[in-house]
Amino acid sequence: MIDERIYEQFKEIGRDLYEQTMISSHGGNISIRLGDRVVIKRRGAQLGRLKPHDLIETGLEKNDSGVTLASTELLAHRTIYMKTPALAICHCHPRTAIAFSLSRDEIVPIDNEASYLLKKVPVIWEEFASGTPEMANKLAEALQSYKIVMLRGHGSFAIGQTLDEAFFWSSTLEEACQIMLMAKLINEPFIEYRRMSEAYGKW
Amino acid sequence: MGGWMGKVLDVNLTTGEIVKHPLDMELARQFLGGRGLGARMLWDEVGPDVDPLSPGNVLIFTSGPLTGTGYQTSNRFSVSTKSPLTGTVLDANSGGFWGMQFKKTGYDAMIVRGKADKPIYIEIKPDGVTIKDAQHLWGKVVSETTKALGQNNNKRNVLCIGPAGENLSRIAAIMNDGERSLARGGPGAVMGSKNLKAIVVEGKERPDIVDDGKFKFMLYETRKLLRASPLTSQALPEFGTVVMMNVVNNIGALPTRNHRQAMFEGAEAISGETLTEKYLVKNSACWACPIGCTRISKTDKVEGEGPEFETTWAFGAECGIDDLSAIIEANHVCNEMGLDTISAGSTIACAMELSEIGLLDSDLRFGRADLIVKTVEAMGYRRDLGAELADGSLRLAKRCGRPDLSMSSKGMELPAYDPRGMQGQGLLYATSNRGGCHMRGNMLGLEVLGLPKLIDRFQVQGKSSYVILHQNMAAMIDSLVICKFTNMGVAEEYFARALAAVTGIQYSTGELIKVGERTYNLERLYNLREGFTKADDTLPPRLLTEPVPDGPSKGWVSKLEPMLKEYYRARGWDENGVPRPNKLAELSLAQFVEAVR
Repeated sequence: MIDERIYEQFKEIGRDLYEQTMISSHGGNISIRLGDRVVIKRRGAQLGRLKPHDLIETGLEKNDSGVTLASTELLAHRTIYMKTPALAICHCHPRTAIAFSLSRDEIVPIDNEASYLLKKVPVIWEEFASGTPEMANKLAEALQSYKIVMLRGHGSFAIGQTLDEAFFWSSTLEEACQIMLMAKLINEPFIEYRRMSEAYGKW
Repeated sequence: MGGWMGKVLDVNLTTGEIVKHPLDMELARQFLGGRGLGARMLWDEVGPDVDPLSPGNVLIFTSGPLTGTGYQTSNRFSVSTKSPLTGTVLDANSGGFWGMQFKKTGYDAMIVRGKADKPIYIEIKPDGVTIKDAQHLWGKVVSETTKALGQNNNKRNVLCIGPAGENLSRIAAIMNDGERSLARGGPGAVMGSKNLKAIVVEGKERPDIVDDGKFKFMLYETRKLLRASPLTSQALPEFGTVVMMNVVNNIGALPTRNHRQAMFEGAEAISGETLTEKYLVKNSACWACPIGCTRISKTDKVEGEGPEFETTWAFGAECGIDDLSAIIEANHVCNEMGLDTISAGSTIACAMELSEIGLLDSDLRFGRADLIVKTVEAMGYRRDLGAELADGSLRLAKRCGRPDLSMSSKGMELPAYDPRGMQGQGLLYATSNRGGCHMRGNMLGLEVLGLPKLIDRFQVQGKSSYVILHQNMAAMIDSLVICKFTNMGVAEEYFARALAAVTGIQYSTGELIKVGERTYNLERLYNLREGFTKADDTLPPRLLTEPVPDGPSKGWVSKLEPMLKEYYRARGWDENGVPRPNKLAELSLAQFVEAVR
């Protein structure tokens, strides 16, 4: 039985992800770790309209009947939990960040907020990008050192102690990418305002 | 090699032998320094057959790879020993200047073993290490001893015990730089049992920094974050740690009158705001600390450092006392005696309840501010009623036939957060390896302050994961060794990168937290080897069965049992709280399996 307080957290973050166009109607997935258990969105459920039965609980390492209903990204979530200190994961499809991921191996924000919070977001890639152990391992390895990572052409995976925190990193990245896009459209010379900013790319 | 100095000093007080060893770098990589390295060394040194107050116990003083580098708050150091209060593994750490100066002597750690046949002190200088006579210092209070040995903040630093340590009080602290303390669990008594009055350090070496450019960037970024956080740039500098008094009271989680209540009607009178308005002389800071939470306070009778939040709570709300000047004076006497203020205040609160119900023959009553200063002094000198109280609340309450009235876990007095109003905090206390303690991880951030984000303080399901993460992070921070307040503005990924810049070893954030997990599990194994069991992972019965009578936490008790069950599973321990072999293998601790089988 999943505590109603936990359902409320899922419902609020899911709704915000949808309303901020960080996902399509049925895209993305979020989860939390409860000790040796994982609570994750049900496969096919709409994050923007979560009901209590859309939350699936299953083992962190061991399978049980919950896996028949869990999100297709369960493997990635489990692997991340086992290899990083994450207690919550937010996977979404931030459009501007996805667009930037198509042309670079890392996203280095230029705005103050994201420079301050993220410094740099690596972009990783794998031939079979969804639900494979190769992808899951690559993601978990990157998330050992970074709190948010982009999968090229697919979306972001962010970790945190709470869903709220993981969502925060996701929306910060998308905002940063929107600002970068606008700066490109304005197409005027960039005036560096951040001391030691050259180190962000080496973060 | 950056960060570490590469040497360990070994002083045998029984024989007078002084030896230098190379630091085992594999251990240093696995445990960093401070608490982690101390726990690992203690495992080899002190087994279950050793009485904590016998010559067989050791004191292991450790710095960390960041100590003395100039990274924010890199002034701290740690002591590890077997606790005379709890019988568990113990580490305590402290700020000030001594830790930085110790590192400058060129050592990462110092083991002190055996027992001198008369009072002595150890002096470590660039030209050598000497054991010197301290008979003229024995009996002196901390400020006299510190002054007599030539304390000079940036050049020569003194660590010592006061009368409480000499008299083997099991809640005696080790004091450094005058009024800083390695407080909890009675390390001062271990020093006293060795006839070791003081350790004086003077150094001129500096740890190497492998990537200076990256380190400067990390200094810059860390400073930026600490300045941006209202907690580290405004609340702590302006009001000190006592700023938490009103915050914790307002949510109904401030233990009051030996935990009979969880809100104190006199909180405002002993708050950080009142301290600043009426008694603050000036702020002060430890070496390389931009936060500066230290208070210098003054009353008609005393002037000195403190009091901290926990101290103000222990002598204040927990004793039903709203007289801040009496609390400041009690804090001052604790510092002079060399006593842990949390345990001292909480033990007096326990004595007040025992006296009120007629089980202890004393005038102590809740609210008797006029008695606390002289009671603390009597505890330090082990005289009159003080002799009854000098070994902490559990031993006192047992002698009076009511051990349940000791608000302690594993024998260590609980700090200023009521587990009934902060469910995670209760689990954290119950599973703390050194006994009831808020410095083994603290749920204040998540359950009250919203750091990094707020969680429901009454939620039970899933709480174990947060507690485990924060226990691991605390063990890691204690092994670096830096101040936990830094973590209120700076995330652990910064510590990983700063450590990588200093040492040249590319620690990821995940690997760094794994160091904390490794330490936590080794400490657990130590306690199991000492004979502790699942039954010791508990809280005072009052907190499990007596609901909070009023306020925002009204009706709540600690729901420890379901959280504990989940905690063991999430830790990779069996149902009895014993780490499973695969978990130990994962943490490179497989060699210790047999020792606790």
